[in-house]
Amino acid sequence: MKEQAFRFGRAHHMVGVAGVPTANAHAVGVVVLNAGLVHRIGPFRLHVDLTRRLNACGYPTLRFDLSTVGDSGASGEPQTRDQQVRADVADAVSLLSRQSGCTRVVLIGLCSGAQNAHAVACTDASVAGAIFLDGYAYRTVGYRLRHYLPRLFDAGRWLRALAPRPHPPTPRSTEPVFSVAAMPRDVVRSDFASMLDRGLKLRLIYSGGISNYFNHARQFRECFGRVVTRPGASTRFIREADHTYSLACDRNRLLDDIEHWLTSHFPVATAGVPS
Amino acid sequence: MTMLTTPIEADLPLYFGTGAELFGLYQPAGAPAGKAVLLCPPLGQEQIRCHRLYRQLAHALAAEGIAVLRFDYYGCGDSAGASDEVDWQRCLADTRDAANELRRRSRTDRIVAFGARLGGSIALAATGAARFSELVVWDPVLDGNAYVERMEAMQAALRQDPQRFCTPRQVSDADGQWLGFPIGTSLRQALIELHCGPANVPVWILDSLEPAATREWQSLGVHASQIKTLQPPTPWDDLGRLEMAILSHAVIQAVTAHVRELA
Repeated sequence: MKEQAFRFGRAHHMVGVAGVPTANAHAVGVVVLNAGLVHRIGPFRLHVDLTRRLNACGYPTLRFDLSTVGDSGASGEPQTRDQQVRADVADAVSLLSRQSGCTRVVLIGLCSGAQNAHAVACTDASVAGAIFLDGYAYRTVGYRLRHYLPRLFDAGRWLRALAPRPHPPTPRSTEPVFSVAAMPRDVVRSDFASMLDRGLKLRLIYSGGISNYFNHARQFRECFGRVVTRPGASTRFIREADHTYSLACDRNRLLDDIEHWLTSHFPVATAGVPS
Repeated sequence: MTMLTTPIEADLPLYFGTGAELFGLYQPAGAPAGKAVLLCPPLGQEQIRCHRLYRQLAHALAAEGIAVLRFDYYGCGDSAGASDEVDWQRCLADTRDAANELRRRSRTDRIVAFGARLGGSIALAATGAARFSELVVWDPVLDGNAYVERMEAMQAALRQDPQRFCTPRQVSDADGQWLGFPIGTSLRQALIELHCGPANVPVWILDSLEPAATREWQSLGVHASQIKTLQPPTPWDDLGRLEMAILSHAVIQAVTAHVRELA
């Protein structure tokens, strides 16, 4: 199977690469969104490895750059970023549908990509499922206990804190860091519920790289309540991995997870048919 | 301030080369300029960090009426191949194929190559096969062995970086990789043996290395007038900025002006 490169979109302003397996033309499609400002290949080429792995399983895929990200230009429309993202993904789904015949897609996004996937999954009828990597999360009481209690009883930490410092602490960098802007927790929880009501399948995979606000598998439930235990939802916390899966073993573990989840929920033979 | 002199067309994403395995973005020229520019990317994480700058440079050159081709080597970016299949000799062959693709599309025989870091080293090594007319190289890697040692030291630091991992990772978890990318043994060996010598075409060097860094520009046989020093230094080896883009208007302006002025 050869990948194909496209310039596409309502203003012919976006660039994407589609992988369309010759067999299983009616499988559910997979659209991968940008992780932050990294172009469509993803951090450490994660999105290339991911889409090729899924192509090998029979899924048509598209990795592409949203408006003004990577190789894509601006659409020139007076839209909010949210409207733009929805329109961009609609264009991407339309392209993948023309190329492969798929009518429904699963969205995959890391960090701000998860945020964008969330926004689209809330309203787009073509979305059958979504995989949120380090998406929305909130510090909970449980988080604080797990974070602070071990430090409270760590004698070494107390000694270091009380000892005179030979050097003043390094000032915090003022450069931008990866982060997902917070949306109220109740809104996110309610969005998840309505996605599940509409039959979407959801997979939340969070890494140890966001340990400044998420530090345990239990925190999914603490953040979002019972909604994440509903049959269509599932979660996984990969504590060892960093935010962008910089080690090959962590990337492989993530790809294994995604492949297993997709083949379980959207088996290629019956894909595209809502359960 | 750079003025846009030619309205630029959108760049065309395409696959080319034997078996259509190489991904590229071709930026056509508004009018024949008598020369075209091939942008040779660095390898690994430096390619991702430089992506935005390469795109901006392609647009700036296209605005001058110069056709540009950006591309990914086999095993890199959107090109075919797995990351651990990147091979030095294949990079050189891909560069030659990309130069020929640019000649065919731009209908220009005169190709100027630009490359940052290992992209510069590849452009230097591929000069004969790719028939480059001139080279512009930005902080090229001339001593491959020193580069390999630095990459391995940074990889060792990365696996223990508390800003990245909750707990330090095992040596085996990080083995055979440099800053997020698996490294094949043949590429590692080729880099250990890499020593760039003089090219037989004019070479212009952009130097933005840290003041304390070792410079061996004389090994390229260049005159001081062929070296332009840029400030501030580019943080190529700062682990804390591993995932931050390298952006430099100074580089874009310097390269664009230099290519424009080439006789």
